This record gives sequence, C-alpha cells and structure tokens, in this order.
Amino acid sequence: MENSVLLKLVEELAQKLDGEFEASLGTPVLKIKGARTTEALQAARNFSGTPCEFLHDLTAVDYPDRNEIEVVYHLTSLRGPQMIRIKAVVDRNNPVIDTAVRIWPGADFMERECFDLMGVKFNGHPDLRRILLWDDFEGHPLRKDYVTPSVEERKRLRIMQPGE
Amino acid sequence: MEVDNEKQHEADEMVKKNIILAKLDDVLNWGRGWSFWPVSFGLACCAIEMMAAGGPRFDISRFGYEVFRPTPRQADLMIVAGTVTRKMAPAVKKIYDQMAEPKWVISMGSCANSGGPFVDSYAVLPGVDSIIPVDVYIPGCPPRPESLFYGLLQLKQKVQNPAKVRLAKHGK
Ligand code: SF4
Repeated sequence: MENSVLLKLVEELAQKLDGEFEASLGTPVLKIKGARTTEALQAARNFSGTPCEFLHDLTAVDYPDRNEIEVVYHLTSLRGPQMIRIKAVVDRNNPVIDTAVRIWPGADFMERECFDLMGVKFNGHPDLRRILLWDDFEGHPLRKDYVTPSVEERKRLRIMQPGE
Repeated sequence: MEVDNEKQHEADEMVKKNIILAKLDDVLNWGRGWSFWPVSFGLACCAIEMMAAGGPRFDISRFGYEVFRPTPRQADLMIVAGTVTRKMAPAVKKIYDQMAEPKWVISMGSCANSGGPFVDSYAVLPGVDSIIPVDVYIPGCPPRPESLFYGLLQLKQKVQNPAKVRLAKHGK
C-alpha cells in the first residue's frame, strides 16, 4: 500500500532525470546516468512523506559485455519498511562518479571498498585509498576480467618497508 | 667403621635413585618438550578449535602447553591457526622474528598448510611455509583439538630427539 507511494515517486523522478524505471519484486529500481547521481540521491532523500534518508548499501556490478559498471545504491526509508534501488551507469574504461559522502558521511568506507575491489573513482571523496587490500596491490579483483596470479607468484611475498 | 659402612651403603642407594647424569642439552630439550609456551596466533575458524583445546573439556594443560602468551617475546611456539592473508603475512613474519630462540612453528589446518579452500584467492597466502619455516603440519579443516594435541606431542618428540630428526632429514 505504502509501497505504491514510493513506486509513484520514483517513477516521477525517473521521468525528471530521464532515467529508466522498473519494479523488481516490489522494489522500485531507478537506472540513471552516472552524471546525475547526486541529483537523484538528493531527490530520493527529500521525497515528501517517505524520505529515503538511510543509505543501506553502496556497491557496484561489472558488465564487461556492455562495457559498463553500475554503481548500486540501496536506500531505505525509516518511515516504513521499504527500499529503493538506484543504479548509476558509468563507463567501464573510465569509471568516475560523484561521491555520496557529502550527502551521507557513512558512504566513506563503502566507497573506498568499491574503489578497492571494482576500481570506481569517486570524485570529491576525502580519502580515496584501498581499504581491504594492501596498498601495493595491482588491479581490481572483483572486475570480471581480473586474472588471479598463479600460486607460485603469490608465494613470493614482497614485504613493504616502512616509509615506502 | 662398621657403622659408617652402613651409612655409605645407604648413601650409595640414595645416589642411584636421585641423581641422574645427562648432557645439559638433553636436559634442556627434555624440559622444553614438556612446556611449550605458545604465542596465541588465531587467524580464522581454526582458532576456535585452538580455544576449545584450551578450555576445560579438552584441557591443553594436561600436557603443560597451556601458557598462551600474548607477546612473542615470552613464547617459544607459534601455532598459526587459520587463513594467512597476504595482508596479514608481514605481521606473521614480524611476530616470528620477534620470538626468542629456540622457537618452533605449528601450522594448524589446511589453510595454514597450503591455502586450503581459499588457495585460489588473490588475497590468500598459499601456505604459511612460504614465509616462515614450519615444524609440524596438522591437516584438517578445522583439525579437532585432539589433532592439535597430537601435533604438539609430535613436536615434543621432535624437540626431545634432535638426533632422530637430523637422521630423518639428512640421513646422518
Ligand atoms: S583450515 Fe578450515 S577451519 Fe581452518 S581456518 Fe581454514 S577454512 Fe577455517
């Protein structure tokens, strides 16, 4: 019942930002271009009646055949048990998107993880470093075309010296 | 003098029962084998079994190995229990280097032995023996506490009989 409100709001938002709208298992999904992310997130946060002000999850999906990476935001409204999903499409060869840290400071670590594993660069992030892997790791292992080094190669361990 | 003779005899008996002559090395090794002080180095699920081994049901102190030390300076045995990621590997090596000689390493579980179920992962070290020397490998995922005890007793054999180890390793 209440979800229908949110479905309508997201559909309107999709028209405004010329994105695509679909309902997946009752969850409104909004697909937009990467450049309009901040706009969409701000709008979703300020929905009247059911503001989706809680950033649940921030991750990314790799689509090598379409040469795209989708950055996925899950937002939850605390005024009711409902969730919306916003997918921002960026170019796979140069995945740059605006940061959400200005809207939700909690996006900080999630964006760092996304950068670490998928290589998405977040414009305006205060401290975009690797978070899970070590600093001199090469590549982004959750990309579909990442090739894991052989066992022999991984056995050879180079320990970083302090100050390096 | 007869009285003294009897006393002398008594003393000889006492000497036979109470004084043992041995090489100092043997005595030290004998003592070391009975009281390892492990540095607590739990990295993943295997650490839970190591903790269970320390608890009252399995009771590691029956063997005298219960003095888990949180600092490598006071420990002579490192039980590497769990998955060694490559980010953790420098810490493992550093702690091993900080331990005082003589020191031994037990690699517990298939993760520490060879990478285990995560051997294909980009982030996991395929076997802790690629960075530090290992004395005893305990297979299993996870090994039960009994296996850990068996491994510790094997290490005791190894420590107390260096000649046998040399024979097995170098053939002389
Ligand atoms: S060997 Fe098995 S139980 Fe032990 S750390 Fe690895 S996965 Fe966990």
